[in-house]
Amino acid sequence: MTGKGKFQGLKNLAEIMVRFACAQGAEEIQVTIVEALEFNVDVRMGKIENLIEAGARYCGFKIIAGNKTAYATSSDLSEETLHGLVKNAIRRAKLANPDEFSGLPPSKKYSFDTSSLDIYDPEISELETEKKIDLALETERIALSDSRITNSHGANFETKEMTTILANSSGFLDEYAETYCGLGVGIQAGGTDTKVEGFWSSARRHFRDLETPEKIAKKAVERTVRLLNPRKIKTQVVPVIFEPTMTSWLLGFLFACVSGTSVYQKMSFLSDKLGEKIAGENISVSDDGLMPGKLGTRPYDSEGVPSQKTIVVEKGLLKSYLCDTYSGKKLDLASTGNADGAGVGPNNFYLHPGNVQPENIIQKTEKGLLLTRTIGHGLNPVTGDISRGAFGLWIENGEIAYPVAEITVAGNLGKILRQIEEVGNDLEFRNAICGPTIKVQELTVAGE
Amino acid sequence: METAYKTPFPLTSEDLKTILNTALSRGGNFSEIFLEYKHFHSILMEEDIIKETSENIHVGAGVRVLCKDQTGYGYTNVLSLERLKRAAVTAASIAKGTRSLHSSPICPVPFSHNFYPIIRPAPKESLGKKISLVKNTYRAALGLDPKIKKAKVSFIDQNRQITVVNSDGCYISDIQPLIKLTCLCVAEKSGRREMGYSGGGGKVGLEYFQNALTPKNIGEDAAAEALHLLEAVEAPAGEMPIVLAPGHSGVLIHEAVGHLLEADFIRKKTSIFSDKIGKKVGNEQIFIYDDPTIPFFRGSYNVDDEGTIPKKTRLIEHGMLVGLIQDRLSAESLGMPVTGHGRRQDYSCIPIPRMSNTYIDKGEYDRDEILRSVRNGFYAQNFQGGQVEDSGKFTFSVSSGFLIENGKLTAPVKQATLIGTNIDILKKIEKVGSDLLFGLQTGTCGKEGQAAPVTDGCPTLKVTKMTVGGLR
Repeated sequence: MTGKGKFQGLKNLAEIMVRFACAQGAEEIQVTIVEALEFNVDVRMGKIENLIEAGARYCGFKIIAGNKTAYATSSDLSEETLHGLVKNAIRRAKLANPDEFSGLPPSKKYSFDTSSLDIYDPEISELETEKKIDLALETERIALSDSRITNSHGANFETKEMTTILANSSGFLDEYAETYCGLGVGIQAGGTDTKVEGFWSSARRHFRDLETPEKIAKKAVERTVRLLNPRKIKTQVVPVIFEPTMTSWLLGFLFACVSGTSVYQKMSFLSDKLGEKIAGENISVSDDGLMPGKLGTRPYDSEGVPSQKTIVVEKGLLKSYLCDTYSGKKLDLASTGNADGAGVGPNNFYLHPGNVQPENIIQKTEKGLLLTRTIGHGLNPVTGDISRGAFGLWIENGEIAYPVAEITVAGNLGKILRQIEEVGNDLEFRNAICGPTIKVQELTVAGE
Repeated sequence: METAYKTPFPLTSEDLKTILNTALSRGGNFSEIFLEYKHFHSILMEEDIIKETSENIHVGAGVRVLCKDQTGYGYTNVLSLERLKRAAVTAASIAKGTRSLHSSPICPVPFSHNFYPIIRPAPKESLGKKISLVKNTYRAALGLDPKIKKAKVSFIDQNRQITVVNSDGCYISDIQPLIKLTCLCVAEKSGRREMGYSGGGGKVGLEYFQNALTPKNIGEDAAAEALHLLEAVEAPAGEMPIVLAPGHSGVLIHEAVGHLLEADFIRKKTSIFSDKIGKKVGNEQIFIYDDPTIPFFRGSYNVDDEGTIPKKTRLIEHGMLVGLIQDRLSAESLGMPVTGHGRRQDYSCIPIPRMSNTYIDKGEYDRDEILRSVRNGFYAQNFQGGQVEDSGKFTFSVSSGFLIENGKLTAPVKQATLIGTNIDILKKIEKVGSDLLFGLQTGTCGKEGQAAPVTDGCPTLKVTKMTVGGLR
């Protein structure tokens, strides 16, 4: 595996901390050390605006003594500081209350084949600075060459190379390396008082998989100019079609509601619903940490529990919550490999695609809203209530008629899941959370 | 609590000068070192137990080079001369020539003001004392009513030490405390569940919780909101007159106006306000300020993150756009004075213009008089936050409110989103109340991936009409 040897020093440090903490009276300890190299270039109007390049390290640990837990993090990795933090943590743990659910995952011997996960791209560290800058410049140049585009928020190219080392007092000691690269552009169309804006980006593990500057720029232009000259609409209840980016947003909210943490805390409307029908037959949702080359892929979670594929919703039935060790114990379930720092996080969390072309979904809609963006807060996991500012395109007689603005959409996730009439075939793994186009039978769209 | 570290910045002034000059070696016209040492603790209580505590040390330095309006930046969390020189070489590469400048002699900049004259700094207090604040808040929340089924209380105290040194020779430091105590509650009645939230803090010491806002207040306020929502009806949908409660509604000013007056958006002409400086943008009654100098406020600071002493900044007076929120780069590029609003999340970030404590100043109307002027409308009381895009479209999310019927508050209303366009709303603010208040001292604003502590405020406001995104 890449990076082996290079990080031996940090691996040793992790082991030393485990030994030191145990000698000081910790019953269990888990240590994470991350080393990251970051490159970022922002260009705007054909010039570099910001150029950032840096390396950073960070260490985080969790100590358990007498079923009491204390955490610490530091970006100062000197032994003196880290030892001091360990001692303080043990002292602090004594002041917390015992929690029978605390503790590391059961100690098992795992073996990982990280290379088959394909999450590290050696090409990224070899990219020339000039080439990285040119990618951003080229993307913006193509976007601005369209005469309808009147201003630019700038284009950006970034890369990240990260090595994660995990050690614990149950004998776990491993490391893995991963890479990330992203290219995107944000633009405006229209005059000062009629501005509309849009953006598009591509993010991948491998440089070779990144969308081309041309593809990104054209998509950003298309997504921006389609919003020009919006109209206001009357308040009404209509079918709403979610573009893939919007389905992903909705799934992000679903993730928050199936996360073991919110479930055991009863902060989710899906608490106590395991095995129940929560959605239509056409809805299946999975979390899969093992898909080669995807953004949410990793060999194991932040507690060292191996990644797996978990079917969360199968044909409308709620099959599984997503848990770390702690929330799993609380719910009497096993960890699903979703530990993420201090809580539960997604791996690749996605809605299974259907077989309808997205264009057909629009064609079959007599009147409705194609939702393209939402802004604001307005998500309540306890009730599933949704209320957001929205942008979209109005659909009349199966065709896109005109853009609409200054509207809000309101509904309830529980109801929406049962009212998804169509699921598109256009699933793309653009983010760790993603879904295809969907059509929801009805939502309240508020306007004039 | 005992600390686990040594003095934060082990660099001599000779080292600093070497780094600044290395940064200028390719011809940049300004270089700067930002040193940061942030130490913070947190306590979490839920399910009747102190579940966890944490201690965190965030140390690092960033080197910035400006070459006209271009920025080069490198950072490291190892504060050695060698690592900082490496960051300086990275930052220097934004310029493509040879050196034309040398750093001026480094000279400490003294200042005598202190916007956080606290008595009991949290880091010096025992963990036991802080745990009892948390427990008292928790008990107050659960004790208010048996319908409160759950509370989650968190306490964070932070000490942030910064030093800014730049090629103009400026050397300036500040130590910024920050405390936040928050409570989240869930109330339940016949299967229905609702959430409530409250909190307090700021750049204060622990004495704040005896005088200004007690743990009991915080716990009970959060519980009261959850109980209020149990009785709430669905929000209406459509355009209607809105009355905004004083204090919390300041988020409207932050989103609808503040962000678009941040000078980077003006310099890039992406803001809808970019051609409106000196022009009338709203009703005569509207006065908006951003003031980083309000004592003890969460958004205040003695020195900004690029070494500028901040000033109370006029943004809108008599409805006219009179000023902007500036950092060094934007001020220079626009040929305007700096205002001390260059802030950064931490050493890994470039400073950008940010709000601090933003508010709409008090007007002349009595709150009851404002309410009486509305036949049918919506009263927005508490908020979850908001968002704006440069085109001026903004939303803000109301977590609880009331219907207004015949000039009186009637049924409690739950979650709704308000949406509007900023220029439009400034014109539609019809009445400004005389009861200026500030919102919770717990707010954090996000911009370009950077978080910054902020406060905002306003008096009771009447908006002629706005779109409410409810279900009915």
